[in-house]
Amino acid sequence: MLNTDKVIFSDLYSQRINQLHEDKLKINEVKMKQIGHLDFDDWGFIYYPDFKFEAKPNHPSGIVYGSVAIGEHLRRFFNEIPKYINKNSALAGAWVGPLQNYISIGIVPEDQPNELLEVWKKYDTRPGFGAMNHCAGDITIGLKLGWGGILNKIRYYREFNSPSNADFYDGEEHVVLGMQEWIVSLAKEARKMAEMEIQENTRTNLLEIAEMNEWLVNNPPRTLREACQFIAHFQTLDRTYFVGGALDQLDEALRPFYEKDISEGILTDEQAVWYVASMFFNDTHYSQIAGLTPDGSRDMTSRMSFIILDAMHYLHIPINLALRVHDKVNPVLLKRSLEYTMEDGTGVDYSCNIGCEQGYVKNGMPLQLARMRAKVGCNWTALPGREYPLQDVTRCNLGFALYYALQDIKQGERSMDFLFERFCYHTKAIVDSIKAGYDKHYEVMGRNKPEMVYNLFMHGPIERGLNCSEGGVDILNFNIDAVALATVADSFAALEQRIVNEKRITWDELFETLDNNYEGAENIKLMMKNIKRLGSPDSLAENWGVKIRDYYVWCCKHEGTPKHHLPIIPGMFSHGTVGELGSKLPATPNGRKAGEPISHSNEPDPGFALGINTFSPTLKANAVALLQPGYGNSAPLQLDIDVDMISKEGGIDALVSLIHTHNQMGGTLINLNCLTKKTLLEAHEDPQKHPDLIVRVTGYSAFFASLSKEYRQQIVDRYLFL
Amino acid sequence: MEGVIFNIQRFSIHDGPGARTIVFFKGCNLKCKWCHNPESLSSKGEIEFYPERCIGCGACFKVCPYGAHELDENKVHIINRIKCDGCLLCTDTCYANALVAVGSKVDSDYLLKSILTDEIYYKNSSGGVTFSGGECMLQIDFLSEILIKCKDRGIHTAVDTAGNVPWSYFEKIMNVTDLFLYDVKAADTNRHKQLTGVNNELILQNLRKLSEIGKRIHVRIPFIVGCNDDQIEEIAEILKPLNIEKVEVLSYHKLGNSKYTSLGIKNELLGIQVPTEEMVDRAITILKSNGLNAEKS
Repeated sequence: MLNTDKVIFSDLYSQRINQLHEDKLKINEVKMKQIGHLDFDDWGFIYYPDFKFEAKPNHPSGIVYGSVAIGEHLRRFFNEIPKYINKNSALAGAWVGPLQNYISIGIVPEDQPNELLEVWKKYDTRPGFGAMNHCAGDITIGLKLGWGGILNKIRYYREFNSPSNADFYDGEEHVVLGMQEWIVSLAKEARKMAEMEIQENTRTNLLEIAEMNEWLVNNPPRTLREACQFIAHFQTLDRTYFVGGALDQLDEALRPFYEKDISEGILTDEQAVWYVASMFFNDTHYSQIAGLTPDGSRDMTSRMSFIILDAMHYLHIPINLALRVHDKVNPVLLKRSLEYTMEDGTGVDYSCNIGCEQGYVKNGMPLQLARMRAKVGCNWTALPGREYPLQDVTRCNLGFALYYALQDIKQGERSMDFLFERFCYHTKAIVDSIKAGYDKHYEVMGRNKPEMVYNLFMHGPIERGLNCSEGGVDILNFNIDAVALATVADSFAALEQRIVNEKRITWDELFETLDNNYEGAENIKLMMKNIKRLGSPDSLAENWGVKIRDYYVWCCKHEGTPKHHLPIIPGMFSHGTVGELGSKLPATPNGRKAGEPISHSNEPDPGFALGINTFSPTLKANAVALLQPGYGNSAPLQLDIDVDMISKEGGIDALVSLIHTHNQMGGTLINLNCLTKKTLLEAHEDPQKHPDLIVRVTGYSAFFASLSKEYRQQIVDRYLFL
Repeated sequence: MEGVIFNIQRFSIHDGPGARTIVFFKGCNLKCKWCHNPESLSSKGEIEFYPERCIGCGACFKVCPYGAHELDENKVHIINRIKCDGCLLCTDTCYANALVAVGSKVDSDYLLKSILTDEIYYKNSSGGVTFSGGECMLQIDFLSEILIKCKDRGIHTAVDTAGNVPWSYFEKIMNVTDLFLYDVKAADTNRHKQLTGVNNELILQNLRKLSEIGKRIHVRIPFIVGCNDDQIEEIAEILKPLNIEKVEVLSYHKLGNSKYTSLGIKNELLGIQVPTEEMVDRAITILKSNGLNAEKS
């Protein structure tokens, strides 16, 4: 019988976890004062403003490139960085910032895709070329081998393969040696701190940290604590190298250690929570709990899943944990996660199995494999250790496709059909340019910016001597994310309704108004804006949304990249950068002025509900489900629920039904905030009034107080239109 | 057949079991002083006016056949409600949503389609659809038609009513209504008339008949300080012998106040106190002490 009880804490562990929470707030306060706002993930790095690191470029352009040079820098970096140990943590170590803050790691000029720069600039495309990580390692590789075993593996395959150029292996060897040398120093630091510590419990903790790290220099973890320490070290390394943030199916990775320790009587549940909380304190890597076994026969929820959830709740800092929802998901785990969300304001996000898994199989993948694709990024899923999907690094701005289409019809036939035809032309141009960039990425990344960390934790790169982006792993699926769907769908609908159907405005008048950025034409702007927009039932915009989505998906799927025929999987995700993505886009026919933000992902724009249909989460959820790209990559649903709406009995059950329904309708991801409007508006006016208010910005969590005003406004806008 | 509604609200957990879609019918034959949906009172289309949204484009002036749009002495746009005929032409030209039409004629097929949009949510939450208002039973033929269509699709149905209609109306929908949400606003008939404009004999008579038949009933008591907060004991006495599954105490709130202004209707309870938690708890205690399954809503 699965134990689903909440963990109860003694004073010792309660204090330790609370203190970690307080320390996190202080660390963030320092970062904000020194660095400014933190609009991305709440990273776990410790800020050392006086730390300096010398770059030794190996290219005349001043960059560091290639496996050996990068490996050497990483090794030296880890030897030189401060050795951070928090006395309230079960674990040692912290990262101090990404290596590229200190050195310039790049792609040599002769490998740059200069022929594509112009077309990318034209459409303000984020092409993804040269992007790093956005794949996931299989952490169990490291948990089974330890750093010593990984080193042996490198040396074994270097000798076995005997490549004419062993740079790949030499670089990776430096990385592992650097980690081992760092861990040795951490152990020494822990011993030094223990010698000076007068508090008995803390002293014992520090000595345990020292012994544990001494063991982990060469050996694989034996206990849950050691496993968590190994993962913390991995997180530190991963973040240091291009801010990699993907972890794994965390409950399954830790379960064997937990069960063994419990059976041997050397672990209590509160200790387990503390270990995991310490790991979360180290960094906010993305991981998943629950989900179906690969054969689909049962739910993977275990006691470890509940331990991890409790660690998230009691530590109460931004943590990027996902719960994989499916029809057989443990109902207690699901409800517990929602209780915590209602109490804390946010919590896990919900990765939906039907959209993710059944979508992925349409790429020719077995369902068993699709079930293993975990939510290990802010929006995205990947097969840990087996797939290189380069998720979340591209943006195909449909707004620009529309802009150029409008310019085209100015000179030619003014009709909706011709406009859509030209829109398709430009959309395809954008997608094709990203595909061409991916071909180049595939060709050059291994010799310029290899995945030094993920190569160690993937199945294949070390065995083959190949970077994971160039055949080191078996599955390459390059992602392309479209943005501005609602902006464009609403624009098409407004044109159809106001010009074609109602004849309230002519094409010429519309063009003039757009060219003047709606200046002196407030009534036209509002006329174009206040139609039945995407998200409203029976709207023209919904039909356009489907049509645009269908064409965009076809562009991605009908053929692979032009040279190497690499497969593409479409997604729709804007991250929180809707302001930046709209900054260069001229005025659009949906009443949006030049430079204003575009719409989020594939979501309706806030304020879409008018007339007899008042806003509800289900209207939004239905629209997002309907407009999924459909091949397993995510288009997330952001739900911001006023907690007063669901605080009565039955509220959590209603949320459970919402989550299951969105899953059954083919959704892929739900990000949930449950706050009162009052709290949110207070915090927006004065963030320091609620310094530990956590929100889901999109697929990642952050302290509301550490976001910029622009990012805070995005969240407030979503609430204001409830 | 067509009916006049003014709102479809989805994912409600306050008006029946599970996640529900609430369809608000326009028109009411009570006039409760605390009504927080004043747009539901008239059965005709009306205009909500939000002057803060007005951009001064003058489109409404041009299109109004009755000259109902005027500028006051400060050159601020106002609506002359006496001149206004309710043709709603101005709302069609107001892109700023300063003038909003309230009330739409819909046929039962359209409404069913709208309700079915959330069918999976009902299934997953044991929810359904609730017909409310206003007084939805005043459009009894339309209500009956849509209830039948919903039941044919296996959707759980609830009717939220004040009960001030002929018993024959209840008979028309008895077999297609799974749950009645029944308002009881005062025990004393004179007090009831003072607060709502009508006596309560018919209302209580219908409630007793529903109870005798064995229909599922949730009674809802709007709890208004200074109006009916002293009636709880007597209401409990009335409900005690009846077959009532649940009694919900609905605290007065001020969320509807701005609607009065937008409709140009006087709000008789402006400035009234919102009940405290203690007051509501006391009311619930009284109801429970009479053997009733009472809770806050």
